[in-house]
Amino acid sequence: MPGEILGLLGKNGSGKSTLIKILSGFHKPDEGTLEIDGRPVALPIPLGRSETFGLSFVHQNLGLLPEATVLENLIAGDHERVSPWFINWNAEAARARGLFEEQQLDLDPWAVVADLSPVKRAQLAIVRAADRVRAHREHSSPGILILDEPTPFLPIEDVRELFAMMRRLTQSGVSIVFVSHDIDEVMEITDRATVLRDGAVVASFETAASERSRIAEAIVGHSVTQGRVVGDSPAGDVVARVEGLAGAILKPLDLEVRPGEILGLTGLIGSGYDEVPYLLSGAQAASAGRLTLASRTYDLTTLKPAQAIDAGIVFIPADRQKAGLSLDLSLTENAMLPLAVRGEGRFRLDHRQREETTAGLMRRFVVKAQSPRQAAAELSGGNQQKLLLGKWLQLGPKLALLDEPTQGIDIGARREIYDRLMEACARGAAVICASSEFEQLEMIAHRVLVFERGRLKAELVGGDVTKSSIERACYGETKLHA
Amino acid sequence: MPNLAYQFERFGLILVWLAVIALFGAMRPDTFLTWSNFSSIFGSEAVLVIVTLALLIPLTAGDFDLSVAQTLTFVSMLTAILSARMGVPLGYIIPIVLLCGALVGVVNGLITIYFRVHSLIVTLGVGTFLHGITLWMSDSQTISGVSRALMQYVIIQRLFGIPISFYYAIIIAAIVWYVLSYTAFGQQLLFTGRGREVGRLTGVAVGRVRVAAFVASGVMGAIAGILYTGTTGSANPNSGTALLLPAFAAAFLGATCIKPGRFNAWGSVIAVYFLVTGINGLSVLGFRTYVHDLFYGGALVVAVMVSQLVSGRKERAL
Repeated sequence: MPGEILGLLGKNGSGKSTLIKILSGFHKPDEGTLEIDGRPVALPIPLGRSETFGLSFVHQNLGLLPEATVLENLIAGDHERVSPWFINWNAEAARARGLFEEQQLDLDPWAVVADLSPVKRAQLAIVRAADRVRAHREHSSPGILILDEPTPFLPIEDVRELFAMMRRLTQSGVSIVFVSHDIDEVMEITDRATVLRDGAVVASFETAASERSRIAEAIVGHSVTQGRVVGDSPAGDVVARVEGLAGAILKPLDLEVRPGEILGLTGLIGSGYDEVPYLLSGAQAASAGRLTLASRTYDLTTLKPAQAIDAGIVFIPADRQKAGLSLDLSLTENAMLPLAVRGEGRFRLDHRQREETTAGLMRRFVVKAQSPRQAAAELSGGNQQKLLLGKWLQLGPKLALLDEPTQGIDIGARREIYDRLMEACARGAAVICASSEFEQLEMIAHRVLVFERGRLKAELVGGDVTKSSIERACYGETKLHA
Repeated sequence: MPNLAYQFERFGLILVWLAVIALFGAMRPDTFLTWSNFSSIFGSEAVLVIVTLALLIPLTAGDFDLSVAQTLTFVSMLTAILSARMGVPLGYIIPIVLLCGALVGVVNGLITIYFRVHSLIVTLGVGTFLHGITLWMSDSQTISGVSRALMQYVIIQRLFGIPISFYYAIIIAAIVWYVLSYTAFGQQLLFTGRGREVGRLTGVAVGRVRVAAFVASGVMGAIAGILYTGTTGSANPNSGTALLLPAFAAAFLGATCIKPGRFNAWGSVIAVYFLVTGINGLSVLGFRTYVHDLFYGGALVVAVMVSQLVSGRKERAL
């Protein structure tokens, strides 16, 4: 409806992104029709032409070039208005100032985007999209903005500022579709909300007249329990203690793990849980925090990966193709690198022995490949991940850190990866696993910490670790918004 | 795994080299196909072999060292001036100039790592700067009258009929080969170049490895500079400029053989001698100096194309 803000809610994989990709012309729909302002629109929309139908998008990454100025970003891609042969920069700057004034934004056309605060960047992206639909509309109504999760990395005060801007835009008649994970934000800003689950609309709400818990229920639905693979939480003394750990999003956090325990970390996008493995392994410098492991204390602001490895910490990153393995190089070279770095065979590498050790690892970790001399690129994702696990677990770590350990991997390989993790636990390793897959945590985690906006929100232990309880914790009410 | 096609790929360049020798030998048996021609090729091109090997180390670590040719020129000139003008004995000159080479490497490395500038730009600037110093030092003149002892130990003495400088190059190639294939440092270099983030997260001090690679190439550039002065008995302020492109061509061409897909020492040595054989043959046939540029430039482009084809085929095989 004109001037309305519609919320679009749903968990990962519920079909929000698919819908957006259809509207932007990126995907072809299987069936269905689209009407804008009462006129039917032929589908698929040609890629890049959605603006002429009055649709404009702001994606989560905002699509701004950080090195360029506000003005350059504002007119980038505005081919229909800006001549390809000549740009009158002064006139464009005056036009931009008018636009910013109208939206009550404090933006300087000549400022460089990289120097702007995150909220100003988001404002710029939105005002650009609004300007684009308005300028290119074939007929006179003011168009529809589709904001795809523009808020998860913003602090709450900034989100409010953005909301004020969205309300001003709607007063001029622009309609907004606000896509989000965050029920509280949707409750606050939208007039109506539509919930998607498994690709279908499951409910629509007049947000002012609806209860939060009903919306949350519609998002989560009834999920099937996967059944747990892990047993009871191990007793034992704490092996690793983290105090005051803070990162880019993460607010000071304390946590403890015991030998043989698998601790899951999760939350919605932008909640900061996925920073923890990077900060504890020295892959990224923490802004504050200390780690005590086996009664030695490490300063996490200065910890380097080499020191972490010496301390018995291993880290298996999510980006297996860039940070986990070098795909050009052989399985042996990849698997033996940790040993080479620690000085094994410093001046006389024994290639035969390295290959034999690798072959042994490949058997233990069920890596299916022709030969240890093969390039890692020739393996499937699952086998690469198993090799990566072998590369690190062969060191017999005290603390193993994982980020999304089964991304893009089939069920069979997942199961093998879980088994290997359990074995490492049985040998006394503590495991911290960041994951956005709740089923996975239900299966393998003794304990799960749920995060929101950089803070710990809930802790689930033992039998309470189920997919639906994690979902409830993620989408549930918080003190912060209350 | 060790199938015929792979073995052919490994030794293909040697076959092509032999074919080129056979071709020119058939056309000019009395001038081209003589021992003195070949022994002079082996001796005089030792400098190019060492420059190529110098490039190899930073290339393996993912960096370009464009300054290496000017390090050679600078060291060559410094050696000539110290020896011919100031009469400093060789025993002092050699450590001094090697230190200069290492220093150039340190400067290249530190600027590249701490200011996060692409090594291509840093070493282009440093190299040009060094060339400026060389021209200034020499007043743009060729300096001759270098101690005869240097020439004695570089070009005049022969072993099995080949000037001794050839053996220096082979010794350095053997060292580079050993370091790249049989030491943990070689593995660290490899991961610094081919998977920098993987290496960093596995505890490789990638910054230090890259600086070390630049230092190694600086020192090897300096060795090449000493040999250059020893080969000609003089130092020419523009000597290195013409060596940079052939060295790159040889390094990339070398990466298509012996260990296809990797910069490797023996492949580079073979590539250098393949290239200079071709040029020598063409000049024996009476072509002028422009064939140098045609041949080296063409070889660089072809080498890069071939290595892309090789890696492209691997991707398709997935």
